[in-house]
Amino acid sequence: MSGVGYVAVAGQVAVVAAGGPLLAGWMRQVRARMEGRVGAGVLQPWRDMRKLLRKEPITPVGTGPALRIAPALVVATVAVAAALVPLLSTDTPISDRADLILVVALIALGTLALALAGLDSGTAFGGMGASREMTVAALVEPTILLSVFALSIPAGSTNLPAIVSGTVHDPARLASPAGLLATAALAVAVLAETGRIPVDNPSTHLELTMIHEAMVLEYAGPDLALVELGAQMRLTLLLGLLASLFAPWGIATSASWAALAVALALFTLKVAVLGAVLAAAEVFWAKLRLFRVPELLAGSFLLALLAVIVSYFLSSES
Amino acid sequence: MSEGLFTQLLDLACGAFLLAAVIVLWRRELTAIVRVFALQGVALAAIPVLLGVHERRWDLVVVGVGIGVLRAGLLPYLVRRALTALTAGQQRYGTDTGESRETQPLVNVAASLLTAAALTLLAYAVARPLVELDPTPETQALPVGLAVVLIGFFTLVTRRRALSQVVGFLLLDNGITATAFLAAAGVPLIVELGVSFDVLLAVLVLQILTTRMREAFGTTDIDDLRELHD
Amino acid sequence: MSLVPAALATAAGLAAVGAPAGAALPGVARVRASGVCTAGVGVAGCAAGVAALGGQRWAADFPDLMPLAGAYLAVDALAGLFMAVAGAVIAAVAVYGIGYATGHGEHGVSSRAGQALLPLFALTLVLVPAAASVTTFLVLWELMAFTSLLLVWAEHRGRAPVRAAGVWYAVMTHLGLVLLLAGLLLLAARAGGETFAALRAGAAGVSPTVRGWVFVLTAAAFTSKAGAVPLHAWLPRAHPEAPSAVSALMSAAMVNLGVYGVVRVGFDLLGGGPAWWWLTILALGGLSAVYGILQAAMASDLKRLLAYSTCENMGLVLVGVGAAGVFAAYGDEPLAAAALAAGLLHVVNHAAFKALLFCAAGSVLRATGERNLDLLGGLRARMPLTAGLFAVAALGAVALPPGNGFISEWLLLQSLIHGLQVPGVAPAVVLPLAVALVSLSAGLAAAVFVKALGVAFFARPRGPQAAGAKESPPLMLAGMGLLAVLCATLALVPGLLADGLGRAVSAAGLPGDGALRGGVLQVRLDNISSLLAPLWVVAALTVALAVATGLPRLYGHRRRRRDARLWDCGGGAPSPRMAYTAMSFAEPLQRVFDDVLAPEQDVDVTPVRESAYLVERVRFQRRVPDRIEHRLYEPVLGALARAGQAARRLAGGSVHLYLGYGFVVLVVLLLVLAVGW
Repeated sequence: MSGVGYVAVAGQVAVVAAGGPLLAGWMRQVRARMEGRVGAGVLQPWRDMRKLLRKEPITPVGTGPALRIAPALVVATVAVAAALVPLLSTDTPISDRADLILVVALIALGTLALALAGLDSGTAFGGMGASREMTVAALVEPTILLSVFALSIPAGSTNLPAIVSGTVHDPARLASPAGLLATAALAVAVLAETGRIPVDNPSTHLELTMIHEAMVLEYAGPDLALVELGAQMRLTLLLGLLASLFAPWGIATSASWAALAVALALFTLKVAVLGAVLAAAEVFWAKLRLFRVPELLAGSFLLALLAVIVSYFLSSES
Repeated sequence: MSEGLFTQLLDLACGAFLLAAVIVLWRRELTAIVRVFALQGVALAAIPVLLGVHERRWDLVVVGVGIGVLRAGLLPYLVRRALTALTAGQQRYGTDTGESRETQPLVNVAASLLTAAALTLLAYAVARPLVELDPTPETQALPVGLAVVLIGFFTLVTRRRALSQVVGFLLLDNGITATAFLAAAGVPLIVELGVSFDVLLAVLVLQILTTRMREAFGTTDIDDLRELHD
Repeated sequence: MSLVPAALATAAGLAAVGAPAGAALPGVARVRASGVCTAGVGVAGCAAGVAALGGQRWAADFPDLMPLAGAYLAVDALAGLFMAVAGAVIAAVAVYGIGYATGHGEHGVSSRAGQALLPLFALTLVLVPAAASVTTFLVLWELMAFTSLLLVWAEHRGRAPVRAAGVWYAVMTHLGLVLLLAGLLLLAARAGGETFAALRAGAAGVSPTVRGWVFVLTAAAFTSKAGAVPLHAWLPRAHPEAPSAVSALMSAAMVNLGVYGVVRVGFDLLGGGPAWWWLTILALGGLSAVYGILQAAMASDLKRLLAYSTCENMGLVLVGVGAAGVFAAYGDEPLAAAALAAGLLHVVNHAAFKALLFCAAGSVLRATGERNLDLLGGLRARMPLTAGLFAVAALGAVALPPGNGFISEWLLLQSLIHGLQVPGVAPAVVLPLAVALVSLSAGLAAAVFVKALGVAFFARPRGPQAAGAKESPPLMLAGMGLLAVLCATLALVPGLLADGLGRAVSAAGLPGDGALRGGVLQVRLDNISSLLAPLWVVAALTVALAVATGLPRLYGHRRRRRDARLWDCGGGAPSPRMAYTAMSFAEPLQRVFDDVLAPEQDVDVTPVRESAYLVERVRFQRRVPDRIEHRLYEPVLGALARAGQAARRLAGGSVHLYLGYGFVVLVVLLLVLAVGW
């Protein structure tokens, strides 16, 4: 058993790390096609990363250790979270400690590290990005935890594999209003956490609108490669988490090689579909004004709260 | 229809019903609000239809279909027509009086969403003793109806535009209808007919009033009615 | 032979030596003598507490120690927990305090009075949880309040605000004492005895109304001591103005005793109560958590920020305590035990990181003379060790792994989330809101401590004082190091505390055994299976970090890092004045919470004389006043002042009149007695 389990954990980390840039490339490609451009190809982010990694590492004058450690820390937190989230299998050696709150907190730790790095640079841009990012992160937190709350009610635990295997065995949970509301709330939270439209625009470099990009403006070379990898991995992980929670079919619930292979194929498919949907939505949506973002987050908070309430007054005893 | 499927579908309808009310509160575009309101009408109509099919009471199904036609078809159509009338004038004069959107509600959107959360909790707390009397899938969804009543009332209180107030009023009425179906599997047919007719009339009157208001004040901001007092 | 009495006797003895030594010895010697004695009090108190947590119990009465009532002492695991926390904090802070007070001149904390009071304050902190009768408790409580008040006033010669802060503290703490006196005496009168044992036995026979009054009165006093909204106003004034070592003791040890009081009176003496008591506590806690951290987010004064963060953390603890009470009232005792354990664990964690934060803030204050974040900056290059220690503590405060705060907040969230299995409307309505408030406060705390660490220690210095800062002396660093070790231990192996916490919860009358399990921290209840393995998380993060740093180096050409200019938009090197300040960092949050905070700002534009269009100077000012204080206290203070003015008319200046008042009162009193009996 343990052999398959360890391979599953390693596979989850590997698929997130290797698939992150591919997902970014895929989304850019979908977007380019929808806008009538040819696009650079799915592999472009990998080529960018290779280029950046070969460059000379650079330390901006007047910055400290926070700026240097943050990129690696972001990647590390996402990697640990990827090991915990049952993307491929619910039956791994570490599945008993895969707590949903822990996963959320690990991702927040990465955000915090980058915000500190932004302040460490001592430029106006860095501070601005850090301030905005922390504001959004602070407001997202209640939504995420209430969604966690709603999801944990049917499973009776915040343990992720327990939640996921519970839904695999009882798919009716998903079609309940609580499940749908929690999905919607968590989807908004994921958009905010990964800095996508309508909360943040990942491809902007206009100072009025930047959030994430403003924080990482001082990075170059291999550091920048890690920052980008971290952001791409985080998107993959969170889309994967959404897929695991709300479309858990195909995730291996037992330790067998065949199930793992099926899970890998289905995971790729699910995340690709989600990525394509997100990319398509980004073509049609506009970014919200910064001070409209709290409205969006208040809305998603309400959805999450409704998910909790609804889950105990609708069909609680039936 | 099996018991499980019935519960599931009823819950979904109620969830959609509540969600639509929340989205009405969330959005500012009046056109979007009207569209969501029509969807809410569909969800509302689904409740008696489901109840009727489940309990084999075909009159309920008929009532449901009637409600669907009225709430998802006729009323949204009327409101939309009033809206086009208003915005057409706006385009003609080339001024943007902001008729097509609720720009400045009295309570800002984030706060009203949080209030809606509190109202839902209140509805739950109030309905709980009723639910415990007879815990069936229908009565368990009772808080949804109450919550929509409260949210509708709240919309009515905080919106400035006459048309969004009309929507708030209709939301309130939708909530009352849903509560009636969930609590007592519907009121007698004749009462239901009377109420629906009443609502229709009210909307027609309000529509005329709105147009008159716009002619008199150049806007449908309810706050301008204060001038009548002076 | 039991360890507890020996340790407590040692603590008392050391305080008895330390106080006169602090008062009598000259210069540096008194700082050292008093500091060593205080540290000894701390170590002894901690030892007693740990022994009690390990299962030892001890009770004794000294009928001759105090006239009339006599002194009663008893130590159980609940008292032991608070003793151990206070003792550990005192020991580390005392070491820090020696370094802090050395070279601080003749005034302030190193004065004779200051050094004489420090061991006494430490002793009262250790002894208050041991009190086992109403009189003993009140006397110790008042001694604690009084010594801390004098210590807050220690630096009144240097700064004017100290005096005002001290007055606020004095008034509020004594109002609290009055409430406490009324509540406890009422209980003692009805229960037929004033020792805690008698109260415990007699409380069941007291009518529910009286019990309710007792709880309301004492809870008001205790939550005020804990800094919970709305009776928190003294805390953000007194804590920043006290000398930093005293701030650390107050924020990390003294406020805890407010929580201790609520638990002791509510659970132990009154034996739990109806749900509304605990719903009130829960609501107060949730409000304090969010309001406190929101004010902290707006604060630009480093110590004020930390003080408001204390309000937040005590709020979280009260959420745990309140939830425990609600669960117990609805009959789910195991879950109540888990919630109470979460609250108590947060007391421990908060004490560790907040003491360290205040000590580090004190180091910054000592090195730069500045508390204003906007004028600091760049300290990580000049005070690297202090910066590192502050970072360790801040990691604990933001409630993210691998910090120690995360563990208790995780436990708190777990107990709240699983509260839904408790039947009843109140839990169903309150718990989602509580989860939302706790998580909002956690999210805001992240922003607050990013601000504190990033603006004060990172970037480049914004003022001359920050540019000339020097690292603190070794003793201060040693004291902070001890606290950092404590934080790390709590973060890595919280399971060590599991048994002790279980006993403390049991001492409060809930089934605490087995609520938590050691090794990896695990909540084990009927239908909860949740598990957190902090050591594993840290190990995994370390490995992942090593790989993430190492792999790119293997791939890229291994060139040395080169320094380069910051990106300056082609406009010349950015100056430190362009960096974000604490105020600008908090601006988005301030706009989001505009309706709650109601900030006051004014812009004053002065044009040059020749033309109205050329601006000579723009002055921008923003204040975020404490709105609760604004709305709640000012009307009361105004009414008091008016009443005072009115009362002046009674004082006509005639001696006969004054004597007449006394005579009339005496006669009326006698009349009442005569008629009443």
